[in-house]
Amino acid sequence: MKKIGSALLAAALLGGVLAGCSAGGGGKESGGNGAAEPKVGVAIYKFDDTFMTGVRNSIEKNASGIAKVDIVDSQNSQPTQNDKIDLFLTKKTNALIVNPVDRTAAGVIIDKAKAKETPVVFLNREPLPEDMKKWDKVYYVGAKAEESGTLSGQIVVDYWKANPKADKNGDGVLQYVMLKGEPGHQDAELRTQYSIQAVEDAGIKVEKVAEDTAMWDRVKGQEKMAAFLAANGDKIEAVFANNDDMALGAIEALKAAGYFTGDKYMPVVGVDATAPALQALEQGTMLGTVLNDAENQGKAAVTLASLLAKGGEVNKDSVGFEITDNQYVWIPYQKVTKENAAQFK
Amino acid sequence: MQTKKIQHFVTQNAIYIVLAVLVIGIAVYDPSFIGVNTLRDILIQSSTRVIIALGVAFILITGGTDLSAGRMVGLTAVISASLLQVENYPRRFFPDLPHLPLLVPIAIAIVVGLIFGLINGLIVAKFKVPPFIATLGTMVAIYGINSLYFDTEPNQSQPIGGLRDDFTTLGSGSIGSGEFSLPYIVLIAVAVCYIVWVMFNKTRLGKNMYAIGGNEQAAKVSGINVTKNLIYIYSIAGALYGLAGVLEAARTGGATNNYGNMYELDAIAACVVGGVSTTGGIGTVPGVMAGVLIFTVINYGLTFVGVGPYWQQIIKGAIIVAAVAFDMRKYASRK
Repeated sequence: MKKIGSALLAAALLGGVLAGCSAGGGGKESGGNGAAEPKVGVAIYKFDDTFMTGVRNSIEKNASGIAKVDIVDSQNSQPTQNDKIDLFLTKKTNALIVNPVDRTAAGVIIDKAKAKETPVVFLNREPLPEDMKKWDKVYYVGAKAEESGTLSGQIVVDYWKANPKADKNGDGVLQYVMLKGEPGHQDAELRTQYSIQAVEDAGIKVEKVAEDTAMWDRVKGQEKMAAFLAANGDKIEAVFANNDDMALGAIEALKAAGYFTGDKYMPVVGVDATAPALQALEQGTMLGTVLNDAENQGKAAVTLASLLAKGGEVNKDSVGFEITDNQYVWIPYQKVTKENAAQFK
Repeated sequence: MQTKKIQHFVTQNAIYIVLAVLVIGIAVYDPSFIGVNTLRDILIQSSTRVIIALGVAFILITGGTDLSAGRMVGLTAVISASLLQVENYPRRFFPDLPHLPLLVPIAIAIVVGLIFGLINGLIVAKFKVPPFIATLGTMVAIYGINSLYFDTEPNQSQPIGGLRDDFTTLGSGSIGSGEFSLPYIVLIAVAVCYIVWVMFNKTRLGKNMYAIGGNEQAAKVSGINVTKNLIYIYSIAGALYGLAGVLEAARTGGATNNYGNMYELDAIAACVVGGVSTTGGIGTVPGVMAGVLIFTVINYGLTFVGVGPYWQQIIKGAIIVAAVAFDMRKYASRK
């Protein structure tokens, strides 16, 4: 009896492994017809991040015909990611796409890859400049965080200039409130600073009525906005939020205060272009948001990795995107408003 | 008789058989899995894990448990990294820190681990708090302490990078080069395994550890100072986590306060799969080593043949439960 038991256990484990192979193996590799396609190992910082999932899907889609991609989850742990990269290098993968968990760890990754002559494309989290200089076969694909702020500011500028009534008290100054993300977070600081700077650069005077952190959170956004309204009432002429969740929270608070009915309106801008935000754009409650372009980040990264793996020449024509300083591909953010919301669904 | 012998062999060596089955299964699917480079990768990736697992094994064998292991690894990774940055790095944790000899920050980190292990030991042995609760408390508190340290000016919660070459070499360098090079980190892990094996089998502390885990009352009656021994054991475990934290920082060339998160569960799982009894009194160093290797082979091997991450989780979970169920049969059959 016991012998049968142990044999069954062993068989079950082996069976599990092989079943796993056949089930998981098929989905992870795209293409697979012919040895001409280089192998590209992709390490994403974690699989349950919404934005990076978009990028991941784009990598898989755009790899078809140009590379065999193997995408792994670093589970938000830099040691785990290093383990996966060692594995790719041992398997003689032709190029790597790395979305680092911790940007300062890029130096070690570059050293490893250089030792094996395997080019690396970093994605979405920018390595330190001194690490980038270690090797010319290292590239970075990502967006400039400050641009998301600039574009959301421009959306408000466009609205302000098109609607003379936007200046509710007619003093020629834009009174605004700011809902910030987590304090100290780079995106929160940059979006706050650059959104207002874009308004000032357009020649509009601004006055900050209130600013507080809502921790990227919809509920907190609603609570803070309710408090701003209670304290300042109709003095507020625009709402800036560092992300869509907080903007949507603010919209709820504004609705409760009677906005968006009749001609009582408040321009609210966010960042991210999430699905609920797109719906709010179409309903006319949100003025605009800014999209971090997952599709093009994934496309640029996998095109670049495939080229590097094949040893092809890297330039604007071969990659399809502008190369800055020989090592950087900057993917622009996009403005999203009611007019173009449908195409981002 | 013959069948009985085979039966006995299988029950006694179940984990090694599982390990062999895993390796063979993966190799059949992709023969390139068998090679010096993959073996080296697996050993490197097992190195810090086995050091943590041995620390946890000490405590499991006494009948306790340690949930604070992972957070201690994180704390000591951050401490060692903060003391070992290159002088010209723009964002140094301590801008005016002089160049310290490599062993000093490593020793500091290990001592910090030892102190927190000692605190665990005191709470468990002196104040009689159940180990699960005691180390749950220190797990949470140590993360708080680490985050506080990590957030000090001028670092302000930025990942600590720019580590010195002599330090990162410890984590990623090796003796010799090419096919048959021996990574330092593997040598360190092997040395630790040997030292712990000696402690388990050749010292009074080891004998007392098994005695306490087997039956604490009987150990007390037979004249063992349980309190003192437990404090020693928790402190040694803490020092091992400290060393593991140092090696994690060296291996990745950086550290954040999130390092080591949930490592304690990996370590407990590896111990349990390696035949360490969660009720105490039973466990061997080779068993723990095999348990760690099984999980590394799963992590590495299944990624190697392209099994998706979700499937890997399912297989890991199944192996943990199957191993313990099997182990229970082993002891049940003995009675």
